[in-house]
Formats: sequence, C-alpha cells, structure tokens
Amino acid sequence: MNQKELFSIATDWFHEQNWQPFAFQKESWKAFLAGKHGLLNAPTGSGKTYALWFPIVLNYIKKNPEYRTKHKKGLKAIWITPLRALSQEIRQSAERITVDLGTQMTVGIRTGDTSTKERASQKKAMPDLLITTPESLQLLLSSKGYASIFKDCSAIVVDEWHELLGTKRGIQMELGLSRLKTICKDLRIWGISATIGNLEQARRVLLGPNSEQLQNSVMVRANLKKKITVKSIIPKTMETFPWRGHLGLHLLEEVVPIINNSKTTLLFTNTRSQCEIWFQKILEKHPEYAGEMAMHHGSINKETRLWVEQAIRNESLKAVVCTSSLDLGVDFAPVETVIQIGGPKGVARFLQRAGRSGHRPGKESVIHFLPTHAMELIEASALQVVVKENAVEDRLPYLNSYDVLLQYLTTLAVSDGFYPGEIFPEIQQTFCYQGITEEQWQWLLNFLVLGSQSLSSYDEYKKVEIEADGKFKVNNRGVAMRHRFQIGTIVGDATISVRYQKGGYIGSIEEYFISKLTQGDVFTFAGRNLEFIRIKGMQAHVRNSTKRTNKVPSWMGGRLSFSAQMSELLRQELYKAAAHQLSGPELKSLKHIFDKQREESIVPSPSEFLIETFKTRDGYHHIFYPFEGRAVHEAMSSLLSYRVSLLSPITCSLAFNDYGFEMLSDKPIDIQAVIDNNLFTPEYMLADLQRSLNSNEMARRKFRDIAVISGMVFTGYPEKGVKMKHLQSSSQLLFDVFRDYEPNNLLFQQAFTETFEHQLEEGRLRMALERIGKQQIVWKDCEKATPFSFPIITDRLREKLSNEKLADRIKRMTKILMK
Amino acid sequence: MNGFSGALVRMSYPLKLKDQNFQLHASGAVFWKEKSCLLISDVHLGKVTHFRKFGAALPRHAVHKNYLLLDRLVSYYQPFEICFLGDLFHSSLNKEWVLFENWMARTPSKITLITGNHDIIAPEKFESLGVEQFEELTTENFLLTHHPETRNGYYNLCGHIHPAVRLQGAGRQRLKLPCFFKTEDQMILPAFGEFTGSYTLKPSDKDEVYVIAGEEVIKV
Repeated sequence: MNQKELFSIATDWFHEQNWQPFAFQKESWKAFLAGKHGLLNAPTGSGKTYALWFPIVLNYIKKNPEYRTKHKKGLKAIWITPLRALSQEIRQSAERITVDLGTQMTVGIRTGDTSTKERASQKKAMPDLLITTPESLQLLLSSKGYASIFKDCSAIVVDEWHELLGTKRGIQMELGLSRLKTICKDLRIWGISATIGNLEQARRVLLGPNSEQLQNSVMVRANLKKKITVKSIIPKTMETFPWRGHLGLHLLEEVVPIINNSKTTLLFTNTRSQCEIWFQKILEKHPEYAGEMAMHHGSINKETRLWVEQAIRNESLKAVVCTSSLDLGVDFAPVETVIQIGGPKGVARFLQRAGRSGHRPGKESVIHFLPTHAMELIEASALQVVVKENAVEDRLPYLNSYDVLLQYLTTLAVSDGFYPGEIFPEIQQTFCYQGITEEQWQWLLNFLVLGSQSLSSYDEYKKVEIEADGKFKVNNRGVAMRHRFQIGTIVGDATISVRYQKGGYIGSIEEYFISKLTQGDVFTFAGRNLEFIRIKGMQAHVRNSTKRTNKVPSWMGGRLSFSAQMSELLRQELYKAAAHQLSGPELKSLKHIFDKQREESIVPSPSEFLIETFKTRDGYHHIFYPFEGRAVHEAMSSLLSYRVSLLSPITCSLAFNDYGFEMLSDKPIDIQAVIDNNLFTPEYMLADLQRSLNSNEMARRKFRDIAVISGMVFTGYPEKGVKMKHLQSSSQLLFDVFRDYEPNNLLFQQAFTETFEHQLEEGRLRMALERIGKQQIVWKDCEKATPFSFPIITDRLREKLSNEKLADRIKRMTKILMK
Repeated sequence: MNGFSGALVRMSYPLKLKDQNFQLHASGAVFWKEKSCLLISDVHLGKVTHFRKFGAALPRHAVHKNYLLLDRLVSYYQPFEICFLGDLFHSSLNKEWVLFENWMARTPSKITLITGNHDIIAPEKFESLGVEQFEELTTENFLLTHHPETRNGYYNLCGHIHPAVRLQGAGRQRLKLPCFFKTEDQMILPAFGEFTGSYTLKPSDKDEVYVIAGEEVIKV
C-alpha cells in the first residue's frame, strides 16, 4: 500500500467522525511513515494522540496487507506516559483506531497498578501496543530475555516529554532509549511536548546529542493559537487588604459569582494544604455547594481522584479545588473557567492552567487570578505581559547523574547481565552522560562489583559479579528482588497512608505531619475533619470527627520558585512602578502601597538594588531585594550570610520568598561593611557557597534521594511496614559517613553538584550577582517594616503549621506596620 | 560519635549518682570510678559490614572507627571492667567478628554484656571469647539493663533509646544533639556507635540532660 492509500484510510476515518485532520497531524503521519524520528510540540487536548497512534497503526497495515484477517503477534509500539492516570484515556483513543480500522491489534496497559497476573500473561504474549510509564519500562528491562520482547517494536512515543525532562525519570527514559536503539531493529522515537523554552534541546535529549536518530528527525509544531484572557481579582477595598496571609481567603466572596456564572470552574492552588483550606472554607461559607464541589490533589486516593475527573466530564460538578494534579493530561471540555489562587510561579504552568478552560477549538480561555497578598498583583500584571508574549521557561536537563546510571546498570545486571564494552558506547550517546570519562565509568563498575575502589580480604560486599567471560551479572536472588522493588523510586518525603479504622483508604500524608499529632487530635484532610487514633506500621488510623480544627497537613514539597522568565517579567513591572507608570488595573490598584513603600524606602528602579534594615521585637531585620525568585534567594542568602560571618561572628536566620530575602539576627549587621567589602561579588562564588553551612544541609537532602536511587538505602518492601524513618535517618547518617570517609565518592559529590545546579540554580545566581554588581546599592535604614518587606518577614512564619500563637504574632506585626 | 583529638580530660563531665562518682564521656561512654567500670551502650558493631553484605556500598573504612575509639578509651581510663549495655552487635554474624576477636585479644579488661534486642549472635560465640552475658545486672543500688526500666530502690543505667534532644536558640537556631538523659531514678546513655541514629526526647523540668557537643559534654 502506498502512502496516499494509507493517508486516505486515516482521513476517511476523520471524516467519519466529522473532523478534519490538523496540519500538524498530517505532518506527523508523513514523517513517521518516512521512518523519521521527532518531537511533536502540541498542547493537551489538541488531538496529539491521533497524530502518533495513526501512523503506528498505518505502518503495521503497510507491512501486513492482510491485517484484517491475519494478526502478527508481538509488541509493535510503546507509549510512555508520566502519569498512570492518563493511561486509560490513551488506551481508549488507541483502541478506537485499531477497532475502527478493522485491525486485530491489541492494546495493553502496564503500570504499577497492573496486577501480577496480568503482567505474567503480558510477558507471555505482549499486546501490540503497550502503554506504560518510565519505571515500568525499566522493570521490563530487568526481566530475563527482555531483548526478544522488544525486537519487533517499531515505535516508542514519549508523551508529556516536557514533564520528564529535567527530572530523574527523564534520565531513566534516556537510558531506556539508549538500549532500545540497539535491540529494536526498526525503531522510531517520538516525543510529545508542551511548549517550553528549550524545545530544540528537548529533542536533542530525547534522541541523543550526536545520534543518527537526531540527524534523521523532525520537529512538528501544532501552532494552535489560543486566545487567553487574564482577569485579576482586585480587592474592592484595598484598605482592608492584608499585606500578608498566603491563602487569599479574604477574597473568597469574590470567587462565588465567578463559580455561579460558569458551568464548571477549576480553582488551582499552589499547595495541597492551601487546597484543603480553600475547599473547607468555601463549603463553610456556602453550604449550598455541598455535593457540587470537589477537591483534587496528589495525596487523595486514586478512586476519589478518578471519580472527580469523571464528574468533571459529566458536568456534575460546579467547582473543583485542585493543585498541579490537574495540570496534565485528561481533557475536560466542560471546564469554562479557571481561577488561579496565588502566584503560579511559572509561565508555562500558568499558560497550561489557563488552557484548561474553554477547550473547544476557537473558544477563548479565561483565567482569573486571585492574589494572596498585594505584591502578587505585580505578578498578575507581569502575567498579562506573559500571555501576550508567550514567554515560557526552559526545563533544565540533568547531567552526569551517577545514581540513575548505577540503578540502570544494576537493572541490566539483574536481567541478562551486560558487557561493559557493549553498554558504554550506548551510555556515551545519551545527553545525560555525553561527558562521562573512561575513569568515571571504571569507578562506577568498581562500585557495582566491589562496593569500593579496591579489593579487601574480609570484605563481604555483594551485589554484581563478573562472570568468567566478563559479563556483569547479579546472581543473588535477594539482591535482584530488592533491586526490582527499588526501580524507579521517585523519592518523596516519607508518606503514611491515612485510613479509617475499619479500613477505607483516604489518602497519604507526610510522616512529618503525622508525627506531630497525638491521639485525639483533629485535623482536616481530603475535605474531612478526622480524629487521629494511632499509627500502625505505615498507616495512620483515623475516625470522622465533628470537631472544628485549624490543623491542616502541610506538604514540604509545596514550595515553588519563580522561574527566570517570571522574575524578569516581575522586575519589569516593578520598574514601571518605580517610574510612576502604573499601567494596568493591577498596578493602579497598588498605588497606595507603593506610596507607603516610598514613605521610608524606595521602589527600586533598574539601576538600583534595595536593602532595608529595621528592628522589631523579633530582632534586627535585614532585607535584600534581588527579585530573582525563591531558589536564587535561598542561595544568595546562604552565600551572603557566610560572607557576613567572615567579617564578624554572627548568628542569623534566613527567610526568603520570590521577591527577596531576609537575614534576621539578634544584633545588627553592618550593611556599610557589606557594601564596602563588595560581598555581592560573583568571584569565589562557588567556593563560598560550598563553605556556607546551608549548602551542606541542602546537599544532605539531595543525598537522600541519591542514596535511594543508587541502591544504597533500601526503602523496604511495600506494605510490609518497614518504616521509612529508617531510610531517613540512615541516609542522614550515610551522608556523614561518606563525608568522613569517602568525600571523593562520585555519589557524594553528585549531591553537591545537584544542589548547586538544580536547587540553587548556580547559573542564575551568578547572573543575578553580576546584575547587582552593575546596580547602585540603596540602603534604607527604616523605623519599621515596609510594605515590600512584609510578605517576607511573615512568610517565614507560615512555614510552620498555623495555630493561635502564630496568628497573634502576625497580628502584632500588622500593628507595628500600620501605626 | 565525633572523633576526638584534643586532651581527653576535658571531654568528660563529672557526675555524682547515689554517692558514687561517674564521668560522662563525649564518646557516649560512662566511667564508674569506684568500680573502675566503663559502661558503653549501643555500639552496633558490624553495621557497616551488614549493609555492605546486602549490597549497600558504605565506605569500608568506616568499620575501624569504633575499635579505635574503644582502644583510646581503654588506654585512658584503664578500666577493670567494660560493661556493654546491649546492642553490641548490630545483626547476625559477619566478618567484623574477626575485628572484635582482635580487639578482645588486646584488651585486658573484663568484658560483660547485658544482651540487647539486636544481640542475636549465639551466646556461645561470646562465651568462647570470655564475654560474660547477663539479662541485667544489679550492683550496689544500681540496676544495669538494656531497655530502660524502673525498679524500686534501684537507680537504672541503660541504653536502647539512642537519646537526643533538640535545642532552640535565639534567631531561630535549632540543633539536635545526642545526650545522656538523666531522670530521678534513671540515666539513659547515648549510642556509642559510629553510624547509629538517635531518637529525640523531650525533657521535663525534673530531668537533666547532658549533651554531647563535639568533644565536650555540656549540661543544658
């Protein structure tokens, strides 16, 4: 069958549905059938699945002209999705094609949710089209004779590649692909990505920077223009607008008419605790929504989440309060309106959320922005610019993550064993390990076999063995079993599942929160008030309670930082304010705050770097305003406090948000000395950062994940009640042991590299310091806290759980500010 | 514990319990002067080797630290007796036993072991090296156990918990330090072992806490 005939099969199908194929869909079909690899840049809900399922099926039809009567068994294509929850939808669209075109192709799902029985039967006879996750793909590589499963696979599609890029799951994908390139005879590699700043790089990472696949690849862009309107919710009476508080609850009533005027509204919050609180408060004030409102976040059990997703599609819900858990995948046509509560912190995220509404082609997307404090209105103003300019950020891919490589090599050793001479060139082809040296490679091999770099007589280290012919192989069943359990652990904070005493899973909460509860305590979770009974194994038992409570679990991972793009836009908005050009309604509404700010301080212009100092009952506050985002501020505060401590011994605590950072101390810091000694210099930045105490603490946290991924810490068998506490403390101890005995260990050093590159965003920090170097430092010694400083000095307090005392404290601070 | 290099004499804190003289040492050991007895709890020997045996590549060199610390304590206090308050070994027998045999051979003190929950190595193995084993010991008005226990008329010295306390200071400073945790009728020793965790206790007003701050023992 020639291409024209194949195409007409596809277009006929589209016509039968009363659809027209988009240009980008046809373009993908053509490239795929020409044997090309590629990256498809298309947003959710644009028909991207049909862009790639079709050519996969057409390719099969082409090779098997008698496809209607005969069925050639075996795996033909793999579809990788980062979220298990999306696999059902992907299957439905695939099956629609295979059935309608009269093929006998089968579609199967293999994820962590797949039963052992089904896995076993899949292993005997693979479905033609397999939908799976990066972890499950790795697991397949850990089974004996995996090469024969994949040999006739013609395509692998990595969906939502932008979500994987810049994560360790992305590296897992790179490694898996490097193997498949060798063992599949005729493989096409395709990625699907939403718009990110570094799309070209995304393609290089997916296909390999120097690979023939990259040479023979295309970039297909959907270019579906969509009109997005941002409407800021501006408080009617700014006098009562608190310059603090991170929940925005004072604007709750503003949200009600928006919900009422729309079929279905999604309310996006930034953290799960914020999500819980908003849900609770809306219901409290407006009980009429009961039954028509739901909540959706990552810690709620899967059944509930699926129910909510279904209910959105059925149009049976008026509003859903959610977190990033609803950012991805799943099309919700009925969603008319989206409300973003608090700054979205990233441009791409904001656009993605905005795109959640008005999904039908040609409809405009409306997103309401609800600021949680006044400064966020500046953010809103910046977002207006974003929407016009479509400036989205990069996803920074990892380099040289030895932990993931060790895990992968162990995986290969567990299945059929591997020969380093064969695998090393494959590894070098990947983006992540393109710079790996022979020496580092040898170090890793020694680590796998000896657990160190030299032999010792009484050592009992056991993991990978070298067989007589040079094959690296795991022969110990215990090692193999533990490894399979560990594969693809995405390490998060230790979580505890929350259950009713009689059973009934409600969701999972970080152990950190549960450990602070005592029997009889009541807390809010999944929209319910629950009374804590006891901890049993890895489970917390609870019962429903009618008591009111203000305890809401906080999730440590909830803090997001401004991206570079967002920070830049924010600064531009501020500079407008500095020049008294209050353009949009957002900035206009902030006029009196800017005026107040100018009473004692300034609104900095592009040539100025502002430092404020003042004293409160808490001590001496020193506030610095780089406007570079939380991550950079975390790094800069650590760096600066280290340098200040060199001038004279000092103890200070650090707080930071997206606008600036604070050093709080029991004695004043000599700011003139900070300026005179040029403490913002980018010179010796890395060395100083390394010496600053904070980076050590951050590296310690990074090392925890590294220790788990590389298999140095066993997280325990699921549900066997091996407490995660063990992992926590022992990886902490591990860090100390390595620091004391093997500081040159590549894994130990990786913890620091990751801290600098990914956590502290070293590159951005350097640029920020260079910028400050060109600015004039303006130091304002103030009588009291300024409006700009207020969110920072109170932000720190929010890191803890809210309780009465805290509220009192904030009240007291407000008085100081207002009088 | 942290390694110690400075003068050993500054590293201990004198303490009277029931008219007996004790020295709380920064290594976590307690020296009982009248008895010339060194009390050491929760050494967890063999832990590093145990981890390595199960494929966790901890630095091999870390194995020696415990023995070095023990040697230095023995040569400083020259105790007549060393009494381990349980969890001497972390797990089942492994090749670190050879190192322990060597240490036994060069240590002149009498060695006793109050068995702890981790001590699962066959008693005969200890016997063959001349280690005396007990469930608990009572001497004078003192009760030596692994798990904390209260008994009328006795002062309990024990381990098991790996006690630590959290300290909060001005400017939101926080520290977690291992400690000797003393109540009216009991003192819990910190874990001696390198590469052992700790458990945070909250002292009441009556309790006394002696934290190990690097090379010093400080009452807080």
